[in-house]
Amino acid sequence: MNTTCSPRTCTPATSGVTESLRKPLYNVNGNAEAYELRVELPGVPKSNVKLDLEENILTVRGERSTTVPEGMKALHRELSPLSYLLRLRLNAPVSEEQMTAKLEDGVLTLRLPLKEVAKPRQIPVL
Amino acid sequence: MKIIRTNPFTINRVSGLDEWFRHPLAGLPTLSSFINNLGEVFPGVAGDKLAVDVHEDKDSYFASFEVPGVKKEDFKIELNNGVLTVAAERREKDGEKESSYSLTRSVSVPEGVNAEAIVAKLEDGILTVTLPKQERSKPRSITLS
Repeated sequence: MNTTCSPRTCTPATSGVTESLRKPLYNVNGNAEAYELRVELPGVPKSNVKLDLEENILTVRGERSTTVPEGMKALHRELSPLSYLLRLRLNAPVSEEQMTAKLEDGVLTLRLPLKEVAKPRQIPVL
Repeated sequence: MKIIRTNPFTINRVSGLDEWFRHPLAGLPTLSSFINNLGEVFPGVAGDKLAVDVHEDKDSYFASFEVPGVKKEDFKIELNNGVLTVAAERREKDGEKESSYSLTRSVSVPEGVNAEAIVAKLEDGILTVTLPKQERSKPRSITLS
């Protein structure tokens, strides 16, 4: 089953975003084994990504590296210098120790394997 | 059961030609284009266009494009008639579903750029094109005959 970000599968925390942070674009896919979360974090180096899973709240923080080195003058600006914050409430128990994260070309891919209890089971008819 | 949601990223981010700043000494048209551009600060967040920053130091101009998820080999960068065009192809894979879409952005390049020496670098989803300025002709003294 392909699950996407319906209110049941992930709910952004209401007070997650403050003035100096913004919510990144993200996408959730899932099957019976795991959720896959992809977050767009352009301008964030690997060392500036912080992940946290507490209770059932997953927090992704990404701090942009300074885009303007000293001695440079901005002529035209469209890219936001703000850092990213994404908070999602997970509706299924996730096996924390099996979580994997990968940052590639400014996209963070998180694999969140479901705990055994959350996986669907076939029930044989006797 | 299969629920397929429209991927918000599949919208084509294509935009027209943008005025790029000329040299500060180039005069008033620059100023008016600056004022026009002020109205669209950070439109990149809205997600319908490939956002760009332009910076300058004494040796070069730098154009930075936000291109998360685009691989190095999927870029086409071109300088033609004083217009720098970046075309990026983004491929996405969601399970068995695969989609790709292209993003382009053009900026006009100030005069006095050494076209031969332009280089591009991809880092953390930001493409930076460095456009070195041409060496100014050195001042020379003219002797009275």
